[in-house]
This record gives sequence, structure tokens and C-alpha cells, in this order.
Amino acid sequence: MGCGAMMKSVMEVLLLLMLFFTAHAKEKSYSPPEKPTQTRCRSPEKETFTCWWEPGSDGGLPTTYALYYCKENSETVYECPDYHTAGENSCFFNKNDTSIWVNYNISVVATNALGRAFSDPVDIDVVYIVEPNPPEKLTVAVMEDKGWPFLLVSWEPPHKADTRSGWITLIYELRVRLEEEEDWEMHHAGQQKMFNIFSLRSGGKYLVEVRCKPDHGFWSEWSSTSYVKVPDYFHREKSMWILVAVFSAFIFLILTWLLHMNSHSLKHCILPPVPGPKIKGFDKQLLKNGNSDEIFSALVVPNFPPASTSKYEEMLVEYLEVYVLEEQELMLEESKDLLDGCLKSENSRSDSDSGRGSCDSHTLLMDKCGETKEEERQTNRESSLIETQGWKEEAINHDTSGRVKTWPSVYSPLPQYGSNPLDKQSSLETAKQHSLSTSSFLTQAGTKDALGPSYTDFCFSNKQNHLHPQTLAHRELQTRSDVNISNIGRKRSPATEYVEVQRVNKEDMVLLQPVVSRCGHIEGCPNLPKGEDYSKVKGVDCDNRLLLQREGTGEDVCPLVDQETNGEGGNCYTSSTVSTTQKPTACMYTSMPLQEETALTLNGYVDTATMSNLPSC
Amino acid sequence: TVGKIRAAINRCPSISREKLLDRVIQHAELIYRVSEESCSLFEEMFIPFELQLQRNQAGYACITKALPIPSSRSEIQQISDKWLLHSVLMLVQSWIEPLVYLQTSLNLYDVAPDTLLNKTKWVSEKLISLEQGVVVLIKKMLDEGLLTTNSEQGLFQNDAQPEMLESVMRDYTLLSCFKKDAHKMETFLKLLKCRQTDEYNCA
Repeated sequence: MGCGAMMKSVMEVLLLLMLFFTAHAKEKSYSPPEKPTQTRCRSPEKETFTCWWEPGSDGGLPTTYALYYCKENSETVYECPDYHTAGENSCFFNKNDTSIWVNYNISVVATNALGRAFSDPVDIDVVYIVEPNPPEKLTVAVMEDKGWPFLLVSWEPPHKADTRSGWITLIYELRVRLEEEEDWEMHHAGQQKMFNIFSLRSGGKYLVEVRCKPDHGFWSEWSSTSYVKVPDYFHREKSMWILVAVFSAFIFLILTWLLHMNSHSLKHCILPPVPGPKIKGFDKQLLKNGNSDEIFSALVVPNFPPASTSKYEEMLVEYLEVYVLEEQELMLEESKDLLDGCLKSENSRSDSDSGRGSCDSHTLLMDKCGETKEEERQTNRESSLIETQGWKEEAINHDTSGRVKTWPSVYSPLPQYGSNPLDKQSSLETAKQHSLSTSSFLTQAGTKDALGPSYTDFCFSNKQNHLHPQTLAHRELQTRSDVNISNIGRKRSPATEYVEVQRVNKEDMVLLQPVVSRCGHIEGCPNLPKGEDYSKVKGVDCDNRLLLQREGTGEDVCPLVDQETNGEGGNCYTSSTVSTTQKPTACMYTSMPLQEETALTLNGYVDTATMSNLPSC
Repeated sequence: TVGKIRAAINRCPSISREKLLDRVIQHAELIYRVSEESCSLFEEMFIPFELQLQRNQAGYACITKALPIPSSRSEIQQISDKWLLHSVLMLVQSWIEPLVYLQTSLNLYDVAPDTLLNKTKWVSEKLISLEQGVVVLIKKMLDEGLLTTNSEQGLFQNDAQPEMLESVMRDYTLLSCFKKDAHKMETFLKLLKCRQTDEYNCA
């Protein structure tokens, strides 16, 4: 055999080779494998761990993968011990191969016929890649707490995780939702293995799930769902609410009805009507029209202030206030009315004090009067006369306010009975002074024409006379040393007649006598007063009341004292100008009887204004 | 008076072993939690995201790597109680000084937040008290007397002033290593407790 057989074999081999190569030449390009990717490594219980990778393209050729790792700071390279337990493309490290707190440097290598590919190395520490299994044996039960239900959820840790020894510490989290809803309600449970869920809806069906996580690591998957249905409890609540609603509606109706009934009075209570202006003569319409002139003219009250002058005289008369001793207090009271009448236009205020000074207080006067009374009895008549003179003399004091009151002046010399005549004189003098100081405001007021502006003058005029009366008094004293006391008053009006006290009779009555003797001295002898304007003093009765008589005729009574005091008519007294009114007379005397004892001298006129005090009986 | 004091001391009830162990465990837990927070804070502020994934790069290995400390579950299961306690003590003692260094280094930062500084300061203080607790525990459980002075001072080398980036990485490494070691301490102590109560099931 020879060469032919060898050639055939060589030819066959060549043919085969050619076939082989052509076959290869027909396929797509083969390439080394791509770099595999390491996806993740996980440890379920910190005792073992698994790493997975993702292969890349294998390049058309069968490719094998191998995992190599080296431990921290050690150069020894190990290969994965177990490729199968964890599935494909995975590497499982068992307990013996797993080191905690040690870094692994892991790489995956893909190898095929044409080449190799290395993945990126990954550093892992097993402690940080722990992802436990979900908790197990989740149970949910409905419990009751004072009538309100709640869910009691309990579970167990995954059986592989060794929490009992403390090797791994797990924290739990659960979530709840109603079946028909989509949003979960999360609850953090810490390390405990049970949990209570409150605020349940009656009759609802709930889903509960739980998961866990190590203190540093990854959350596990949610456990399997547990279902629970909460029994109905709400209807018990509902019926109560229905009752409450009905009851409150009922109450509301009643209240509304009450309110309606009393709406009017309530309105008055809450919103009282605003009082409108009630000014007499005030017209709202005028105000609205806006014409102020008309409004205020309407407000003007006619006859205000009172313009009639005739009344002044009445008032003039009315002011007389006679102060006497205690027994004559009645008189006093009556006279007060006069006074008030006089001053009413100027808003007289009649206080009880009547403007008297403390020295001249009423009470004090009374004391004095009391004393004097006693002493009168003791002493002789003359002294009493003097005293009474003094009393009378005081005339009328009026205070600066223009009020006229009769003051019983209290003189220090008064108690001196029967002492030297000088004292008497002085007392008289002072008495005169007092009297004069107050004199004749009324007299002046008597002038009808002088009224308006002179009203005040009338009231205050006495000051002017102050001096004059003094001199007058002097003269008076000189001329009439003992008894006569004249009331001095000045007036501008037609002359008045004066009366002087002649004496005091037995009954302690003041006997008034018109001043006649000096008539010639005085220039302006006062004319006879109109009868109707004056009242005549009839006498003084036992009750120490001055009895006035209305008489048309008056006798000539010359003013007693002072020509100089006034140019007009001296100090003539003006008798009370009763005129149309009876008031003074009414005030001044209570009875009309003319007492015989007193008839002697009472033919003069008495100026009620300057009436002095009457002696006490 | 000396006799009275002695009598008072004798009458003073000592803490039971279980209670002491519980307290030590609580201490370790707290230290670990705070160190974890500090590390996270530091990471957020100073470490770019890319570098975070790569822990313990070459050149910045943990200082305690040389310590003979068990690192796997199986190892730990085989270790004795005594060895567990001693491991804990070693860890604690080796970290006291580096934490002080870390504190001073962090104070040099311009933008270090106060929370971070406070946390690290707190941790270094608590570590000292943990050391004292472990010493007492060792004395109680193992009837051994131990000095509390740092015998591991040589472990930590303080290099000359590094660059800014280097110091940041160095501090980061320190923090993360400490965090890991704190977890070790906590785990060891818990295992120890388990063994005290239930010897056979603490696998």
C-alpha cells in the first residue's frame, strides 16, 4: 500500500479541515464576553450572604463566570464556594465563609474562548448588607376597650434572624388600611412585636402588613396580609345622636317661639329707644331744614325774663325777713317767703343760714335773746327798751349777695344793762350802724322805674349808705338819747315816712312814732306816700308782731335822721309798698286789731323793710 | 470613723451581675447609635458620593485590624466568655485615644457643624465610662483585676499634618471604623448576656 492510502487519509484530513474552517468562517463575529455587572449582595441574617451579578453579552461563545474575592488587607484570593445554592449568577457564602466587620472585595470574571472580562470590584461589609426576611406569623385580633374596639396586631421575627441572642436587632413597622381605600396608615413599632391600632371605623374591613429592618441595613419585604373585620358598634352611638338632635331641635323651636312672643319687649330691653329732643318750641323739622335762625327763634320763650316791673315792688316788699327772738320765729319763717320772692329772679338760694355770719347766727341770737329776756325782767324798762331798741335797730342786714334779711345783731354792749349812757350810745350807734348798713334796699327797690338795671343796686345799695347812717346815728343819739330809735333808710323814691320807736310800753310793745321833730331839717321831706303803697303800723301786739294797717292817708312823717345821707329824701323810711299785694301785711301782721295801748303812736308808717326786731314779750 | 465607713461600704448593696451587664449593653448600644449618626453626618457634608461606596480604601485601613478579634459568627460561637470580654475591652481601650485625635481634627474644620462636634465629643466621653464598666464586669464575672490605663497607646500613630483632602479621608475612615467596632462591642456584649441566661440556645 503505499502512498495512496496515506494520501487518502491526508486528503480526508484536509477535507475535514477545510470543512471545519469553512464552517467557522460562515458564523458571526465572535468576541470576548462583556463585563458582567454585580447587582447586589444581601445577607438575610448577618451570618451568610449571597451576591448576584448580571452577565453581559457572552460574545457568542459559551462563557463561564467566576467570582473571586479577597478579604480585607489580605492578598489571598478566594473563589466563590457555592454557585448553585442561590440560583443562577449568584454566589452563596455560608457561615464559615462569612466574616462580620470585614470588608470583602469581590469581582466577577466572565470567560469565554476569546477572552475574559472583569467586573468592577465591590467592597462590602456584611453588616451593612443585611436585609432580613419579612416577619412571620402576623395575627390581628379585635379587642375592646371600654366599649371602643381596637386591633391587636402581633408577629414574630423571621425565623432565620437571631434576635434572641442579640446577634441582630430588628425594628418593625406596620401599615393598615381599609379594604376600600388605597392609602396606608403607617405605624412604627420599634423593637416590640405587638401593636395596638385605635380609631377604627365600625364595620370596616382592615388589611394589616408588617416589615422589619436591622439597626443598619435594609427593610425587609412586607409580610403577607392579614384581614380583619371590625364589628358594628356605631348604631349605638348613632341612636344617641339622633335623640340629641331631636331634643335640641325641640328646644330650639320653643326658644324661637318665646322670642317671637317677647320680641317687642326684648327689643326695648336690648335696644332702648333713643329719646328724642323734647325742647319746648323745638321743631325737628326746622332742624332738618337746617335754618338755625328759625330754630333758635322758636326756642325763645316769650315773657322770659319777666319784664314787668310791677312785680319788683312786690318783691321788694317780700324780702323782709324779720328776725326776732325765739318766740318770734314764726314771724321769721314767714318773712322768709318775702325774701325768697324778692330774689327769685336772681335765683335766690335760701339756705338755712341766710347768709348770716357766725356771730350773728340765729342760735346765738337766741341765746342772747334768752339772756336778754331774763335780764329784761330783771332790769328796768329802760334797759329793756334800749335793748329792744338795739334789737330793732339791727334793721335789716343783707349780705353781699343782695339778700335782705333782718338780723338780730348781737352787740356786746347789749348785755350791759343800765350801765352808763355812753355804752348805750355806743350800742345804739352800733345798732344804727348795723341797721344802716343794711338799710333800705327795699326802699330803693320801691321805685318802680328804677327797676331793671337798678335791681342790683337795690340790693346792694346799702354800702353807700354806710357812712351816712353812722353820722345819722350819731345825731340820732344826740338828739334822742334814750329811746328813739329810728330806722334809717334811704331811698330815691318819693319820701317815705319814718317811724321811730317811741317807747316800749308795759307789755313790751314797741311804740312807734312818726318822726316829726326833725322834719324841718331835712330837705327832701318825703312826700306822703301813696296810701295804697304803704302800710301803716298799727301797733305791735303781744306776740311781738308788727301790726300794719293799710291806709290811704299818711301823715307827715319826717325822716328822723339824716339829711345828708341822701339828697333825695334823707333817710326816709319807705313803708312797705304793699301796693296791690297784701303780702307784707299778711306777713307782717297776723291780726288787725288796733290795740289801744298802742294807738297812741302808731299813726306813722313803718317801713317794713327796715323793721327792726320787736321786743319779745 | 474608719470602721463606720467600712461598715457602710459593706452594707452598700452591690449591683448584680445581670443588671451590670444590662447597663453595659445599653451603654454600648447608645455609643453605636451616636457613632452611626456622626458617620452619616460626616458623609453628607464632606464625602462625595462616589467615595462613599468604597470604604476602607487602601492606605486607610482600620486601626484595629491587627487586633485578634473574632470576626465571623462561627468564630464567635466558638469563643469563650472570657475571650469575648477581653475582646470588648481591647476594642474599647484602643479607641479612646484616636477619638480624642478625631475631636481635635474635627475642630479644625471651618464648616463642621456643632452637632457633629457634640456627638463625637459625647462618644469619646462615653467610651471612657464604658471601659470602666467593662473592667468592673470582668472583675465580677471573671474575678480578674485589671488596670484601666490604656495599654494600647502605641496602636495609633499620629502622622504629621496631612493635607486637607487626606485629613478628610482619614477622619472619615476613623469614623467608619469606629462605627464598626462599636457594633462589634455591642454584639459581643449581647451574646455574652445570652450566654449568661440561656447557655444552649445562643447558637
